[in-house]
Amino acid sequence: MPTGPVSAGSRCFANPTAPCVSPELCPHAKAVHGRRGLHGGCRSPCSKRSGGRGLLCSPGRAGGLPPCREPGHTPTCAGHSPPLRHPLPHPLLRRAPTRPAHRSGFSPSLLHPRCAAPPPFSIAPSASLHSLTSLHPALHCAPSLLVPCLALHPHLCALFLPPSTPLCMYSPHPCTPLLLYFPFLAPPCTALPLTSLHPASHCPSLPPLAALVIPGGITTAPPASAQEIEPLHKQPGNHSGEGAAKPRKAFPVLGIDYGHVRIPFEISLWILLACLMKLGFHVIPSVSNIVPESCLLIVVGLLVGGLIKGVGEKPPILRSEIFFLFLLPPIILDAGYFLPLRQFTENLGTILIFAVVGTLWNAFFLGGLMYAVCQVGGTGLNHIGLLANLLFGSIISAVDPVAVLAVFEEIHINELLHILVFGESLLNDAVTVVLYHLFEEFANFEQVTIIDIILGFLSFFVVSLGGVFVGVIYGVIAAFTSRFTSHIRVIEPLFVFLYSYMAYLSAELFHLSGIMALIASGVVMRPYVEANISHKSHTTIKYFLKMWSSVSETLIFIFLGVSTVAGHHYWNWTFVISTLLFCLIARVLGVLGLTWFINKFRIVKLTPKDQFIIAYGGLRGAIAFSLCYLLDYEHFNMRDMFLTAIITVIFFTVFVQGMTIRPLVDLLAVKKKQETKRSINEEIHTQFLDHLLTGIEDICGHYGHHHWKDKLNRFNKKYVKKCLIAGERSKEPQLIAFYHKMEMKQAIELVESGGLGKIPSAVSTVSMQNIQPKTLPVERALPALSKDKEEEIRKILRNNLQKTRQRLRSYNRHTLVADPYEEAWNQMLLRRQKARQLEQKINNYLTVPAHKLDSPTMSRARIGSDPLAYEPKPDSENLPIITIDPASPQSPESVDLANEELKGSSHLSSSPEEDEEGLVMRVKEPSSPGTDDVFTPGTSDSPSNQRMLRCLSDPGPRPEPEEGEPFIPKGQ
Amino acid sequence: MDMLICVFCFVFFPPPVSHSQITRLYSRFTSLDKGENGTLSREDFQRIPELAINPLGDRIINAFFPEGEDQVNFRGFMRTLAHFRPIEDNEKSKDQNGPEPLNSRSNKLHFAFRLYDLDKDDKISRDELLQVLRMMVGVNISDEQLGSIADRTIQEADQDGDSAISFAEFVKVLEKVDVEQKMSIRFLH
Repeated sequence: MPTGPVSAGSRCFANPTAPCVSPELCPHAKAVHGRRGLHGGCRSPCSKRSGGRGLLCSPGRAGGLPPCREPGHTPTCAGHSPPLRHPLPHPLLRRAPTRPAHRSGFSPSLLHPRCAAPPPFSIAPSASLHSLTSLHPALHCAPSLLVPCLALHPHLCALFLPPSTPLCMYSPHPCTPLLLYFPFLAPPCTALPLTSLHPASHCPSLPPLAALVIPGGITTAPPASAQEIEPLHKQPGNHSGEGAAKPRKAFPVLGIDYGHVRIPFEISLWILLACLMKLGFHVIPSVSNIVPESCLLIVVGLLVGGLIKGVGEKPPILRSEIFFLFLLPPIILDAGYFLPLRQFTENLGTILIFAVVGTLWNAFFLGGLMYAVCQVGGTGLNHIGLLANLLFGSIISAVDPVAVLAVFEEIHINELLHILVFGESLLNDAVTVVLYHLFEEFANFEQVTIIDIILGFLSFFVVSLGGVFVGVIYGVIAAFTSRFTSHIRVIEPLFVFLYSYMAYLSAELFHLSGIMALIASGVVMRPYVEANISHKSHTTIKYFLKMWSSVSETLIFIFLGVSTVAGHHYWNWTFVISTLLFCLIARVLGVLGLTWFINKFRIVKLTPKDQFIIAYGGLRGAIAFSLCYLLDYEHFNMRDMFLTAIITVIFFTVFVQGMTIRPLVDLLAVKKKQETKRSINEEIHTQFLDHLLTGIEDICGHYGHHHWKDKLNRFNKKYVKKCLIAGERSKEPQLIAFYHKMEMKQAIELVESGGLGKIPSAVSTVSMQNIQPKTLPVERALPALSKDKEEEIRKILRNNLQKTRQRLRSYNRHTLVADPYEEAWNQMLLRRQKARQLEQKINNYLTVPAHKLDSPTMSRARIGSDPLAYEPKPDSENLPIITIDPASPQSPESVDLANEELKGSSHLSSSPEEDEEGLVMRVKEPSSPGTDDVFTPGTSDSPSNQRMLRCLSDPGPRPEPEEGEPFIPKGQ
Repeated sequence: MDMLICVFCFVFFPPPVSHSQITRLYSRFTSLDKGENGTLSREDFQRIPELAINPLGDRIINAFFPEGEDQVNFRGFMRTLAHFRPIEDNEKSKDQNGPEPLNSRSNKLHFAFRLYDLDKDDKISRDELLQVLRMMVGVNISDEQLGSIADRTIQEADQDGDSAISFAEFVKVLEKVDVEQKMSIRFLH
């Protein structure tokens, strides 16, 4: 960071009372603070400390300090320590001799012999800041030991700060994850209350915070520099608090300001650890085959936590706010956005019964039994009342979506079981939230009246339906927004994320079920958003969601392990064992009872095997832990015991059940998931069956599932889609959309696999079969010919595709550079259609040779010889119009034929007025009368046709006449 | 609480009362029977408003009428509806060698297949498929597009190369679809 002239900088510092009005006048301030926003610090540096450089303070207290507004305050404080901007100079190096012009400035290259080329900036000396080497004796005694540590320890930042200046280095926040700690470094640094050192400091709130100050640095600067400084300071008296430090004016060439980056740095480190762990597990497949990833991650967390504890630092705990606000939403959004909606709605009744009744049963059964245990359990447990026990039951009874996802995704269970257990884990959130708040409130009440219970009951509906309502609203807004994003494709995915997150936060704002809101918004927005956004944005959304959710999941499990080590535990055998036992019993009984009940109404019954898997898949996880951690210790002094019991249950379910569920699924031969893509046949026939069933229900006069679904679909088609989906696609039926998607996928696959040549051949066989299955002699004649054609088509494709890729695009930060491959996919789609039509035509020429003149070879020969061979035939409306601009310098005869045709086709797609601008020539293309009407080109105004024309009109540079001419244009 | 659960279940799983369903269907039958002669005609069916907007309405109505007749009595009415009865667990085990019940998987599928197959040659030809597609997707899609979908569909399902879908091929492409569930109406328990 280049700094300005020294004089300007020193003026600013030499005269702190004269405020620097604009940052431009005080480049030094800019240089040192690194940000313009900190410039105000010239006048009142303490405000900088508390606000601007909040990173230096403990995270929980940043911004909490009232800014010191004293004008004469020295401009040095911890916030001034410059950011790291050069490799660490070796502390053993001697100070460079001061140059006369720059009082104590020196170039970094002098400091470090390895820096051959000096960096392109000069560092302005400051009257109050010190160079690295002169500060601390510890640096002189054991540099080799210290240097690597400097980068790691925030305390050492103080080493680079001038002595006896109001440094404030707060000790790291107890909860922040600090990886390494070097206790042996602590002694040389003296921790003192800040105010005691700095008389000018008027920040009354500082004393409680530990300030770490280096007392009186070791002066190694030559006295000359001190003498030089003196006259330069116009008002030395104003430098309050500098005192002995005055002669030490060297600017720290390179300092370490770990506090500046600590929080993001440590967060990144944790995420990196999580990702590396995930990576590591998949490198060793034998491990991940036996043990689920979640177990391994918890183990890693335990190890890391132990390590942190081993070096004397306090391991971080999975804080509830972080968990609920940052870690959980991506997982739930991922689940909600990609929810298999059809299966979900078909089994909604079962899922709701499990989620609501099952969770209620679990909570009350467990709570009641635990109360009984506490009554007889002994001295340690007697004080736990019924409500506390019910609260405990409600916390631990909910099946956890994160744990279920992690385990069930690995065992590839069939869709029905997956959606039952997973859906339950998602929807029980409302019950958990209500019960949790209910019992938490009740526990403070003197007496719980019947009104309270009724209100609690009511709040269940408010919480669940309110959550869904909030989600739906945000979903609709998101869909509506995505209608207009076609010009700024880059930010499309962000809308999806932001609106969903807003839905979650808004729901949490009112204590509604945030999970329900997220799922509702994801489900509602998805169909419309997907119709609006580009294919690439869709991919982006998919990958981002998957990435975020998997990182969150990994972090959650790691932190579960770490928190286990970090937290306070109170182990009570009776309590823990009975919790575990009753949890399992409640789950089994609940599932058995409810399935017995549900099976009376289900069409597809749940078999005993299914019931077993549902009961066994009831994993508990981090939500329970976080909810318990949220409990107020004042009111619930048994929190530690609860936490211990919950962690035990989580570990038991995740480890024992999670590890054994896969062998059990194999053993019981539970139906697995079939990994197949949906075929077009299934899509068509399923829709057909839906219509059929709707009709039958109507005949029966029964308003069932299909009836309402049909009503909803009609409503959706008639009103909602028109509002939320832009342009033509709102009218596109589901089937067509599906078909396009499928075609797109195949085209992509083809392009990626490089199998370009396959398309024409595949198409040709199909079309041959379909069109002319009965004319055997023709079929015999066809293969040889189609191979030639195929070769030619392939050549064209290759040429054009290469051209697309070669086309250069200017870079723009705000727009996505179009992927040549995507263009290739689009063209591939069109070419496929094209090729199919072509084959069709060839077939027709061969089978019905009505017009001899129009056979492809003949017409080609004619095209080659004379462009006027195309005789204008006014009776054909849908055929290309060749427009020749009379004003063009080229005579019509000399116009390249291929280009001319292309021009014509482009004009066809454009507005009719354009036709009048030039000489219009209508050309009858050589078509044969026997063409099947499906394969003749549609009218020019059909959108697909237009699209194709547009594509064809732009094949890049002019095609070589030899191969471009007969096959590409042909006027379609 | 119990009441809530009851209300809850009633909404999502209407209770199955087999005998009363028959009475209910009979009353539905008689209410449709405007001529009050114990049989339903095509016009009676067409009067159902929802069926009029169903894209497959005419075909569904035709499925109720045996070959060449234009009246259907309650017995025939029930016989057609029986295809949509859910498969009971105990029904799977018994009647192994007896005649296959109307609500078996293959009979359900055959019912659907017959709705496609208008000319009753036990094959869904390209034209028949196109007709169904046209009915389902509406008019704003070009013939060309529908044609390519139909081609694609037949190409995917066709195994013997006759460019039509036979019943065996139809069953094959739907083998992964949960037809038992999809072609069942809970009401007809």
